[in-house]
Amino acid sequence: MSEHRVIILDGSEQPTRDLIGGKAWSVARMMSLGLRVPPAFVLPVSECRRYLDADRALDDQLWQQVLDGVANLEQRADRRFGDPNAPLLVSVRSGAAVSMPGMMDTVLNLGITDDIEAALAELTGDPEYARDTHARFLHAYGDIVLKADLDSYVSGPTADEMRAAVLKDTGKEVPTTPLEQLRGAISAVFDSWNSSRAKAYRKHWGIAEAGGTAVTVQMMVFGNLGQASGTGVLFTRNPLSGEPEPYGEWLPGGQGDDVVGGTHTVQDMITLKNDQPAVHEELLTWAQTLEREHSEVQDIEFTMEQGRLYLLQTRTAKRSPQAAVRIAVDLVDEGVITPDDAIARVTPEQMRNVMSPRLDPQHSEQHRVASGEPACPGVATGIGVVDPDEAEARSRAGESIVLVRPTTSPNDVHGMIAAVAVVTDLGGSTSHAAVVTRALGRPSVVGVGDGVAETLAGKVITVDGEGGHVYEGEMPLLQTRVDEDPRLSRFAAWAAERSPLNVIEAAPDGVEFVDLDALGLGVATDHHHTTPSRDEITAALQGASMARGTLLSTPDGVAAAIAAGVTTVVAKPALPVQLMAARQALDLA
Amino acid sequence: MSEELNFLAIHGLAVRKAAGPAAVADLLGLDEAEVTAALEAATEAGQVAGARGMFMVSPTGQAWLAEQYPVVYADARTDGQLTEAYERFERVNTDLLALFTDWQTIPTPGGSVANDHSDADYDRGIIDRLGDLHEKAERVVGRCAEAAPRLSRYLERLETAYDKVLAGEIDYVSGVRIDSYHTVWFELHEDLLRMLGRTRQE
Repeated sequence: MSEHRVIILDGSEQPTRDLIGGKAWSVARMMSLGLRVPPAFVLPVSECRRYLDADRALDDQLWQQVLDGVANLEQRADRRFGDPNAPLLVSVRSGAAVSMPGMMDTVLNLGITDDIEAALAELTGDPEYARDTHARFLHAYGDIVLKADLDSYVSGPTADEMRAAVLKDTGKEVPTTPLEQLRGAISAVFDSWNSSRAKAYRKHWGIAEAGGTAVTVQMMVFGNLGQASGTGVLFTRNPLSGEPEPYGEWLPGGQGDDVVGGTHTVQDMITLKNDQPAVHEELLTWAQTLEREHSEVQDIEFTMEQGRLYLLQTRTAKRSPQAAVRIAVDLVDEGVITPDDAIARVTPEQMRNVMSPRLDPQHSEQHRVASGEPACPGVATGIGVVDPDEAEARSRAGESIVLVRPTTSPNDVHGMIAAVAVVTDLGGSTSHAAVVTRALGRPSVVGVGDGVAETLAGKVITVDGEGGHVYEGEMPLLQTRVDEDPRLSRFAAWAAERSPLNVIEAAPDGVEFVDLDALGLGVATDHHHTTPSRDEITAALQGASMARGTLLSTPDGVAAAIAAGVTTVVAKPALPVQLMAARQALDLA
Repeated sequence: MSEELNFLAIHGLAVRKAAGPAAVADLLGLDEAEVTAALEAATEAGQVAGARGMFMVSPTGQAWLAEQYPVVYADARTDGQLTEAYERFERVNTDLLALFTDWQTIPTPGGSVANDHSDADYDRGIIDRLGDLHEKAERVVGRCAEAAPRLSRYLERLETAYDKVLAGEIDYVSGVRIDSYHTVWFELHEDLLRMLGRTRQE
């Protein structure tokens, strides 16, 4: 019996993450839970080492085992590599134990050829899809494996045109047979361990050179195969509101990155339930299994082919600050996690966001004067000013300024820094203006329309960077009150129980306290000043039982207050500081 | 002192908006003493306003620059290789801005959430994409620099920002008050727009 150098993933065993990489490990884990995942095999990290030590040679024994792996996929998929009548296409991806820049990107739809393109056109009744799949594969292979200098993929070119572009730039042909393509892609993954970027990253972080990356080869699911096919993502709870209802989007007839890329019009889960009730039910059951297994909200990628559901990936779901609080409290109530876990899962920054004042939509609606794309959330009110120099000067004189510009250039950045909010006529959520305002945390609305920003000049306006609207006048804001929200109240109680500091919003009359701001100890806002160190703050607070100051909303300030024996901190809102203290007591960052 | 140096110093200052001679010299890849002299001369000529070591292009200077660009860059504007490289630059720009956006906000169904940088895998994925785009940027800026060699200075600054990101200084992806990748790219974009007489589309 020869040595096993290729590992078949079928759920019967769970190889370690170090051996097969994070993605393949996750695939194996889903399989072992009995969930349907496209069949796959892995060349483990040890094979990368062997390949590199052998001067980049894929030896015959290994290649034979890869062929056996392909045969295994063919049998499980009931399709064959290179067979137009029942084509097997695969994805090839890298996978180190710790992901690292410079590793090779995933190549999808490997195994497609001219014959298979023609067959797919027939099979799907969609020649455009077949052509696009083929061209996209050639682009990826050219870009990733052959290192061609190509623009990002845009639909349009035929396979021949794409092949010609790759040949022109690299002098190399994309292999025409699936096995040659596979061999090239596997070697490229192993080679990527020694890419200059990966080496630079390992050097920076002191990661050993002697490691390597695994290669995962997995069957592609045809999300475009006629009716009852498609692809999507499902969050086990709503990532924006936190409601305990699965929330997702899917694209009928889509494959892979189509949904994530956001280039197509997607459908909601109700449509899936109506169109394919069985798939919908299976998906929800599996989603529940995964959430229970991880004790955490999951973000699940799925594809279905002719009514057969496959899970591609699961990971911890990203969520809005509001959702983070609701989900943490709900999971405690459901007995899934402890209050300590809940404290760990909401950051002070998220809590600060939850507690920030919000616009009252009913009251503001009639004052709306412009709408565009929301670029950075938050609400701010100020006087509209077009000229960035004027914005800077008036802001320095103490006015609240909203910079309103047709477009923004580097010449406007100082005005954006000075402003409380930014509005632009042109541009979308990925414009320079949007990038700068998000980096600064300035609420902004972009693309309100040509000439509109000018009309806002000189007026007092309120910018809602969440909804993407501009209102004339100062809009009243709704304050979040902890005692009016049962979940926030419970969360606040857990934080208070664990916090060594009592945090209150106003100092009682006649009680003495140390005011760090009054002592000139504050958070530095420019490079002329430095923020006091933890020790300096501790020294200033020594002997005080009550204290306040902007520094006490920072981790160092909270740590200093605890170290100095302060018992009560005055801060508004109190909850973020209370949470910070509780997290420090639990040894969380 | 050459006319070219005078022009470049004012142009570099215009890209930076308000800056000291060191920053302008850094942007142009020129000697600081020479740039200082040029900016002082331009101040006397009323093209630049200066105070406490910081300079700004005056309205007179802006008008003068606008007249100079079509003359100084007449060849560049008809150089097919440069304009082709610029078109390519715009495509890389689109990809880079999408990357900065993904760095700052994470798409979810129904919207997006701010990236609080708590997921190291997510961040590494973006930094990996930045590496891919940096390689594309090297090629496209390299082509631009064949026509205008001083542009290669941007490449060095992009490289510095990228190295810092790789070493864990993640503010250098899209931070504002520092020479982050976005700051340098934004300035390069402005520089090219001025050279080639194009209008900003966003």
